[in-house]
Amino acid sequence: MLLNSIIIIPIIASLLIGLLGKDYLRLNYFIALFSSLIVFLLSLYLLYLFDPLSTEYQFQTQMNWITQFNIQYFIGIDGISLPLILLTTFITPLVIITSNTSQKKHLHQYLAAFLILETLMIGVFSSLDAFLFYIFWEAMLIPMFIIIGVWGGKNRIYATVKFFLYTFLGSVFMLLALIYLHFKTGSYAINDFYNANLSLNEQIIIFLAFLFAFGVKIPMWPVHTWLPDAHVEAPTGGSVILAAILLKMGGYGFLRFSLPIATEGAVYLSGFMIVLSLVAIIYIGMVAIAQNDMKKLIAYSSISHMGFVTLGCFVYLYSSNDSLNLETTNLAINGAMIQMISHGLISSALFLCIGVMYDRLHTRKISDYGGVITVMPKFGALMVFFALSNAALPGTSGFVGEFIIILASFKINAWIAIMASTTLVIGAFYTLWMVKRVIFGSVVNSKINTLKEINFIESLPLCLLALSILALGLFPNPLFDLMSNSINILSELILSKAS
Amino acid sequence: MSISELKLLAPEIIIASGICVLVLIKSIHSLRSINLLPVLIGALTPLVALLSMVSTFNNPYEIILNGQVVIDTLGSGLKITAYGFSILIILATNINQLNNKSELILIELFALLGISILCSASNLLVIYLGLETLALSLYGLVASNRKSVKSSEAAMKYFVLGSIASGLFLYGVSLIYGLYGSINILDFNNLSVDTSIELQIAIGFIICGIVFKFGAFPFHSWVPDSYQGSTNSVALFISTLPKIGAFALLYRLLIDSFYSLSSLWSLFLLILGIASLIFGNIVALSQNQIRRLLGYSAIGHIGFILIAISASNQIAIESSLIYLFIYIIMTLATFIALEVLSSDNKSIDTITDLKGLNNSHPWVALMLLFCMFSMIGIPPFIGFYAKWIVLSTLLNSEMIYAATIAIIITVIAAYYYLRIVWYMYFEKSDIPLMKNTSNLIQKSLLFTIGSSLLLLGLFPEKLISVISQLFDQIY
Repeated sequence: MLLNSIIIIPIIASLLIGLLGKDYLRLNYFIALFSSLIVFLLSLYLLYLFDPLSTEYQFQTQMNWITQFNIQYFIGIDGISLPLILLTTFITPLVIITSNTSQKKHLHQYLAAFLILETLMIGVFSSLDAFLFYIFWEAMLIPMFIIIGVWGGKNRIYATVKFFLYTFLGSVFMLLALIYLHFKTGSYAINDFYNANLSLNEQIIIFLAFLFAFGVKIPMWPVHTWLPDAHVEAPTGGSVILAAILLKMGGYGFLRFSLPIATEGAVYLSGFMIVLSLVAIIYIGMVAIAQNDMKKLIAYSSISHMGFVTLGCFVYLYSSNDSLNLETTNLAINGAMIQMISHGLISSALFLCIGVMYDRLHTRKISDYGGVITVMPKFGALMVFFALSNAALPGTSGFVGEFIIILASFKINAWIAIMASTTLVIGAFYTLWMVKRVIFGSVVNSKINTLKEINFIESLPLCLLALSILALGLFPNPLFDLMSNSINILSELILSKAS
Repeated sequence: MSISELKLLAPEIIIASGICVLVLIKSIHSLRSINLLPVLIGALTPLVALLSMVSTFNNPYEIILNGQVVIDTLGSGLKITAYGFSILIILATNINQLNNKSELILIELFALLGISILCSASNLLVIYLGLETLALSLYGLVASNRKSVKSSEAAMKYFVLGSIASGLFLYGVSLIYGLYGSINILDFNNLSVDTSIELQIAIGFIICGIVFKFGAFPFHSWVPDSYQGSTNSVALFISTLPKIGAFALLYRLLIDSFYSLSSLWSLFLLILGIASLIFGNIVALSQNQIRRLLGYSAIGHIGFILIAISASNQIAIESSLIYLFIYIIMTLATFIALEVLSSDNKSIDTITDLKGLNNSHPWVALMLLFCMFSMIGIPPFIGFYAKWIVLSTLLNSEMIYAATIAIIITVIAAYYYLRIVWYMYFEKSDIPLMKNTSNLIQKSLLFTIGSSLLLLGLFPEKLISVISQLFDQIY
């Protein structure tokens, strides 16, 4: 019931806002903020009730939906989905708070779109029926398409259509794979898919079909090109949701679908996946250095950081001696999870920072800025902190995930680890260089001197994000405790199917 | 002919009488000026016909009139669907827009009669009778926009091509008669598979006739022209109901009679289906005239239906009918939205006319957005289930290549639907659309059908089970 209400409250609020229409600006804003806060509080209560030691999915609801095809409304969460749900419910109110300052046109539609998106995102993370999962997953394209297209920048139409077609193409292959699995097992429940009896060839094809969907979403190296466009053109809130949560769905999909269902396929292709991840980490990191648009730089840095997630998901499968190791597997998946959460916090903070600057000067070009800290000291300090955590400074959450994944890689192959760890240099290079040019240095033009320091509404989300990044960096243990049991079950499943 | 047989023919009789009443009204001077009367009769006739079927719907499979008419649940189901949709269509037709509306409604009733005959004919000549009744009314409908050159051109093209297709069909029928000495479709149930070349040619000709009615690939050229040439109200009709007739035609001929030759015709349908899927959707990418665009999109949708049928098993036929039904709802909603936006002197013709719709008519824009995403096949809209159920059928029948082609084309097709959405939402209008005078019935129909795209999408179980039940008698 609790989980159901978390899923349904945002969409009811969005209906209300849609019916009230554009005449009630304040009221709409209040409804959106209030409902998203309620959802956040409810999700904290969910965390409180959650039993990390249970081996079952918790807060299950199971109802028949389309009986002819044995499709159920079947939801429930475990230690892998709960952190991502918390991330979603935490980020959405922050986006809604900031929408008041940076968004004027059709505010009610903007708020409604984000609330619908919240419902769909939580739905994705809590579906235990693959068909339901697909519906939430695919329906998300609609509000995101509208958000980028209506409230985006100059080149928004190109960007949003590209985003839509890329992700749509990816996910239809997943649909075929799901239908195929349905014929193999007679059910759409994900747990039944785990027991499907598939030959190696079938597993490879199903893995590739899933890879299309999740690889585009994460995004992985050759299919990443929609992301910089979408990020640059999206409004601040859109960029934040995109970076913080939508990208995480790809990683979640790997953990929930690809690895446990098509395990042998994953083992077979693990070398390929590792190469793609390393290309993303190193090459895309270098591409980020060359950017002169701040949002584009952060977008490329996102791809590079998400490369760590895919590395963590697949590196342990690539072991030269045939014995796959439970400990390494746990370590790598833990690393991937914590990297997702941490990237969700850091990248949304950076996008919010860029949004703050964009609202004032209406430019995202690095060369238009300089010496911002002299006029906006508070903001400058926060931005420097986020940049440092993006560069994986120890003590911030960015460090924990990358460190664990590199550690796990070392146990498999030193070369993979060494190549992955170059990101510590490259990442520091592009973020700190950007900060140097934007925040520090001399004031380049008179407009900078007119900048106003951030107000309370703008600083509140940034401070909250900074706190959580710091908390997660210094005390990651509660998060590990939350996840470890579910990850252990997942690892055992993967290892038993792989050997 | 007994009374009980007459009772089974009640819907056709009622429609024919409705037509007579309309003609009478037209000739009585004092009644001519009442605008609403023809609409009322036009909507009441199918309604009465529909109600007359309630008592006979669960009738057992029956062949009446010396084997010329067959009554089964599928035929009755198709008829009920056609009547139901025709009530909506006649109510949604813009009353203010056309002065000759009573003639329009008259012709539409004629077409409905043709569809009814097609649904329950079991004799090749009766089938031909229904086919021609339908075809001739459609020519008239396309030509009804007399002021437009495009309309006359489209009607002329349609007429010439349609006559050729009817001729081919009739030739196929005569070949069948020559081969077997019978024109009753129930006699062909148990043909042996070793087929002569004459039979193959005959089947080929008959498929030509069917495919023409659907407007699928090599016989598609009338579709975009006639959509573009006609008004939105006429396009609303010709894009929806005749497809039910075409489905009935296909069902009676290929499933009911020549099913034993399915290995022969399924390949035909598969190739034509894939060709129209690719052709319709690719050409639609570059269209700006909105009805023309929807015409090409219809060709693509029909491709989907034909591919599904080519799997030629029970689930395949069911899923193709589900697809057809969903396609009709989506098309209906789209055209009604265009009708609502069209005012007396300004009709929505190109995509650019929709610019900035979100500012001037946010709710209509939302409904059109539902239609477009539903047509792409994005859940939770009902269009997704149409695509999904056909893909399920294809994978189930091990037609993985057809399924792969279908989904890739679906993604390509998404582009032109997205274009409509982006014109409505992302662009600013040069000349804002005026608040128009469309009536309340139209608007409420739009919102009911539009939101049903979403509601049916959330609860599709009932729709799927009702349509599958229609096939219970056959298998």
